[in-house]
Amino acid sequence: MAYSDKVVDHYNNPRNVGTLDKSSQEVGTGLVGAPECGDVMRLQIKVNPETQVIEEAKFKTFGCGSAIASSSLATEWIKGRTVEDAMAIKNTDIVKELALPPVKIHCSVLAEDAIRAAIGDWKKKNGVAENAPAAVESAK
Amino acid sequence: MLKIVDSAVPVACWSCSVARNASTLFCPNCSKIQPPATGDYFAVFGLQPRLNLDLDALEREFHRLSRRLHPDRFARASDSEKEWSLADTALLNDAYRTLKDPLKRTEYVLKLHGAEIGEEHSGNRQDPSRAPADLLEEVFELNMQLEEMRMARQMGDDDPEAAKSLSEAKRKFEGLLQEVDRDLRAQWTAWEEGGDAQRQTAQKQMVALLDRRRYLRNLVRDVTETLGD
Repeated sequence: MAYSDKVVDHYNNPRNVGTLDKSSQEVGTGLVGAPECGDVMRLQIKVNPETQVIEEAKFKTFGCGSAIASSSLATEWIKGRTVEDAMAIKNTDIVKELALPPVKIHCSVLAEDAIRAAIGDWKKKNGVAENAPAAVESAK
Repeated sequence: MLKIVDSAVPVACWSCSVARNASTLFCPNCSKIQPPATGDYFAVFGLQPRLNLDLDALEREFHRLSRRLHPDRFARASDSEKEWSLADTALLNDAYRTLKDPLKRTEYVLKLHGAEIGEEHSGNRQDPSRAPADLLEEVFELNMQLEEMRMARQMGDDDPEAAKSLSEAKRKFEGLLQEVDRDLRAQWTAWEEGGDAQRQTAQKQMVALLDRRRYLRNLVRDVTETLGD
């Protein structure tokens, strides 16, 4: 199986690899795994408390090229979006963008799960209900 | 997706027309070779589908059938028979490799019973219990350590302390791997001898154990690679 050019590009030049301060109030951390292959992925976001815009996104993935590319792309996409907008990203968008073959779809699922887990963690930290629209000390 | 073919449904032998079991590679009546079997891997060997498998019987049957399928025996056979002998040999080898390995056998049997295992079952939302958080944390941390050590090595800096803690981690994860394998075997018996409810529980447990095992297997592989032993 050959990787698409976009996967190879993200694999060779992964965007936003790194770590954010897990203990910071503004940082949400999502750690997820793909039991099918044993890959693990950590995605972190730093959210501006005023605007709820994701200002920073970092990831660290131990897994195959598709998993690395999926998480790299995910951080690119969520940066600059509001938390609610980021929730709208679907794994199928990632599949399309990276032209992932069927056996690698789970890598994109992992990236979507990681986004959701990171946002979920941030919401929990900031006392936002899981399903409620994110509104920390909402401006009236 | 694998399908379970009822091996009790007979098909007619192409040569002598006597009804035979669709899973056998040779006609029990006229002994002629048959096209590749349509049943499950166990039926190829005439064995009951069991997790606690009689490995001696499996090996005996494998060698016996391999001999019967040897190309020399088909030198003067028809083109169809020659073709079948090759296809049957490929099937026999796949079946043997799958069944003799305890993990592959477990995955195979669970798949026959509808468990969604493997990379093709990806789009489905996973049961969150399949990725226990504490295991993930541990796996992630060890991967970070491994990467640090690899980078230090590239800089020509070999830290004996790091190597020591990695060796310890490797032993620990190998131990966990063995634990998973023991737990799996315990579930085999529960699955085979229990009632419906027990069987379902055992199946779930086995799927979870196999998931856990993949994380651990990757770790042990990567630690071993980094330590270079």
